[in-house]
Amino acid sequence: MAHLDQATYQKQVKAVWVATAWLSVITVVEVVAALLWLYMVDPGTSKWLLNTFFIAASLLKAYFIVGEFMHVRYETRALALTILVPTVFLIWFIIAFLWEGTAWQEAREIGGVILDYLNNTGGHDGHGHGGH
Amino acid sequence: MATDTLAVEHGHAHEQKEDWKGGVSPFNVSYGKLMMWYFLVSDAFTFSAFLISYGAIRFSSPTWADPNLVFNAFPGLPGVDAPLGFVSVMTFILILSSVFVVRAVQEGHMMNRKGVVFWMFWGIIGGAAFLGCQAWEWHHLITGLAHDHGMTIFENSFHNSPEPVPIAFGQLFFVITGFHGFHVFSGVILNIIICIQAAQGVFDRRGHYEMVEKVGLYWHFVDLVWVFVFLAFYLL
Repeated sequence: MAHLDQATYQKQVKAVWVATAWLSVITVVEVVAALLWLYMVDPGTSKWLLNTFFIAASLLKAYFIVGEFMHVRYETRALALTILVPTVFLIWFIIAFLWEGTAWQEAREIGGVILDYLNNTGGHDGHGHGGH
Repeated sequence: MATDTLAVEHGHAHEQKEDWKGGVSPFNVSYGKLMMWYFLVSDAFTFSAFLISYGAIRFSSPTWADPNLVFNAFPGLPGVDAPLGFVSVMTFILILSSVFVVRAVQEGHMMNRKGVVFWMFWGIIGGAAFLGCQAWEWHHLITGLAHDHGMTIFENSFHNSPEPVPIAFGQLFFVITGFHGFHVFSGVILNIIICIQAAQGVFDRRGHYEMVEKVGLYWHFVDLVWVFVFLAFYLL
C-alpha cells in the first residue's frame, strides 16, 4: 500500500525535476561567468562583483538542495527552524575568522618590515640582546 | 507522505500549541530521521569550520593559487587548457546522483520496490563516478603532469603562477576534498547496503521505506557540502 496518493506523488516528482534544472542552470552560469571573467576582464580588476555573484548562486543552490531534495520545505515549521536556525552562528564565525586572517597578514607584513630594518642596519646579529 | 500536506496546514497557531502538549511528535518525523538531521547539522559545522579556516588562511596570505590555472586539466586531453572543465563535470555528476536518490526516496513512498532499486543503482553509479573523477584529479595534482612539481601537503610549484603559492593551499585542498570524498565513499557504501536490502524486500516486509529517506538525507548533504567546496576552491 502506497503512503502517498498519485497526484501528490506526481507533483513532487515534477518539483524535483524543476529543482534539478535550476541546479544545472545555476552551475552552468557560474562556470560561464568564471570563464568570461577570465578571458574578457583585465587580470588586475577587483573580483568583488563576480565573487558576490558566486556566493549568491551557491546559496540559491543550497536552497534547492536543502528545500527540495532534503524535503525541508515540506517539514513542520518547528523542524525546519531547529535545523536552519543554528546556521545563523556561521555568519559571525565567518566574519570573525576572515577579520582574523586579515590581521595575521598585517602582523606578518609589519614583522617583515621590522626584520628588513634590523637586517639593513645590522642591529640584528642573531645572538640576542647585548651582543655589541 | 500524506503528512506532507498536513505539514503545511500545521501553520495554524492552535494546532501548533497542541503539538507541544505532549503525546505527539511536534516535528512530525520519526526519531531516526530527526537524529539523522541533528547529525547532519553537526557535520555541517565541521565542514564550515574547515572552510572558514581555509578562508582565514587565505586572507592571511599575500598570494594564493589561481583556480583557473591550477584546475585546468581534463582527462584524455593532455596539454589542453580547460579551466574549470573537469570540475564542472564532477559537479554535474554529483547533482545527478543526488537527483537519482531523491527519485528512489519518492518511489519508496509509493512502495515501489523496483523503482527504489533502479534509482538507487544509478545513484550509486553517480557516486562511484564522482570518486573516480576525484581520484584522477588528485593523481594529476600530486604527480604534477602539467607543472614543475606536483602539489602535495609538503610542497607545490605552479610555474604558471607568478608568485609562490602557500603550501597551505595544498594542505587545505587535500584535507577538505579528502574529508568530503570520504563522506562520498561512506555514502556510496550506505547506498549499496540500502539498494541490496530494498532488492531483498526488507522494506516491503517492514511496511515502509524510511531507511531510504534517512540515507538519502545523508547523500544530499554530501551534495550540499560539494556546493561550498566548489565555491571555496574553484570559484572564489
